[in-house]
Amino acid sequence: MNSDRLFINVKPGKTFIDRLTGKTKVRTFLALIMLLIATWDIRLILPLFFLFIIALISIRPNWKKVWAVMGFIILVNLFNLLLMWLVEPDYGRNVVGGSTVLYRLSDFYIISAETMWYFFVRFTKFMATFVISLVFIQSITPSEMAAGLYSIKVPYKACTIVSIAFRYIPDIARDFQNIKISMQARGLELDSRKASLMTRLKQNITILAPLIITSFDRVGNIANAMDLRGFGKKKTRTYYAEHEDTRGDKIMMLVYLLFYGLFLAVVIIKIVTRPEYQVWYP
Amino acid sequence: MDNKKESIGKILLGKWSTKTIIGIAIGAALFGVLMNFGGIRVFTNTSLTTAMIIDVIVGALFGPLPAALAAFFGNVIADLIGGWGFWFDWSIGNGVLGFFVGLLPIYGAKIADGIFEVKHAIIYVVTVIIGNLFAFGVVTPVLTYLFYSQELTITWGQAISAVISNASVQIIIGIPLLFLLAKRNARSTNLTKED
Repeated sequence: MNSDRLFINVKPGKTFIDRLTGKTKVRTFLALIMLLIATWDIRLILPLFFLFIIALISIRPNWKKVWAVMGFIILVNLFNLLLMWLVEPDYGRNVVGGSTVLYRLSDFYIISAETMWYFFVRFTKFMATFVISLVFIQSITPSEMAAGLYSIKVPYKACTIVSIAFRYIPDIARDFQNIKISMQARGLELDSRKASLMTRLKQNITILAPLIITSFDRVGNIANAMDLRGFGKKKTRTYYAEHEDTRGDKIMMLVYLLFYGLFLAVVIIKIVTRPEYQVWYP
Repeated sequence: MDNKKESIGKILLGKWSTKTIIGIAIGAALFGVLMNFGGIRVFTNTSLTTAMIIDVIVGALFGPLPAALAAFFGNVIADLIGGWGFWFDWSIGNGVLGFFVGLLPIYGAKIADGIFEVKHAIIYVVTVIIGNLFAFGVVTPVLTYLFYSQELTITWGQAISAVISNASVQIIIGIPLLFLLAKRNARSTNLTKED
């Protein structure tokens, strides 16, 4: 694992998206994710994708890191598509409708235009989801996330779970790296080319055991510190990270309301018209 | 240590102290990290992942509902940092699995007090298999159909590989780990409390 891949900020940045309140960030993000899950229409996904790219550029991320992660994600998604194709080469028949054979490898393995179209839509959809998740993670701090979730009526103990989990991911990543290096220094082989699946699985335990023990040893300390500060005594909670709405928040409120409207429209259209195939095809 | 027998309902819910909340949070964070980096990929969006161990640990230390929550939040976090899209059907499936796996304290395997014996291990294997079959064979496909109205062929393939890989990870790694943790927590093996 590369700890560079996990970039969770604890200090808010200075760009437009960074300066929004946690409330706005969480609500916008949820609207967009719901919209992306609901729709399979490239006419909606592609504009959103470009919008997200603009958002990503606007927060001025560390491009070196972004490209590294992006490359990895593209590979993972392409690999997933390849596996899907291997299992069911004619996937497009059921979701797009029809199968125009472009190239026939064997009776079972065909490349059809519909399947390729479906894979293209799916790939764009997941890349869009990835980019918006990246923007979200990059621009939000754990406290803002808790405050944002609390604003949509999530019980604050659940908000605390999420924010603490996010807060500790970099720590865990660092511990994992340290343990792995020290284990390798003692001669543990983790390279997939040199060790078999079973041995690697066994060796994973030798990393896992110290990682889990150190992580859960922290639980007592954190819990005591929070108890001492009176956590969980009252029914409600306010957040220091939450500030008053800025002008940007008011603009974004219109934007996310629009996205919620769009989401509802997509779902209602789907229920009313009951399209035979879920993916739009020209 | 009080020896009062706790009611089953109470063990099911777990004790909702600050400690439990932090335990769930750390569990979810570990789950998210391991799901992304501690695994060997076997099929689309499923891998032989060591994250499944987290269900076991959180279940052993805090009870079934915390295990379910840790697995659910952990999977959402994994999706968020993984970039393969959000699959809430699988998150909920993992939550259900976490609940089954986390049933450890119900049948008397109190890891925190160092109690884990062979008979607990056998019950554990049975719950793991039932939990996996129920979570990924029933809950996830139904939810996939409801949420995404997607063709289930791929989901079945994923479900089968998930059941096999998760159950094997939870059994092959889980049992030695549980013995290890129990041994580590065995404070009062030979000592009896004097009044």
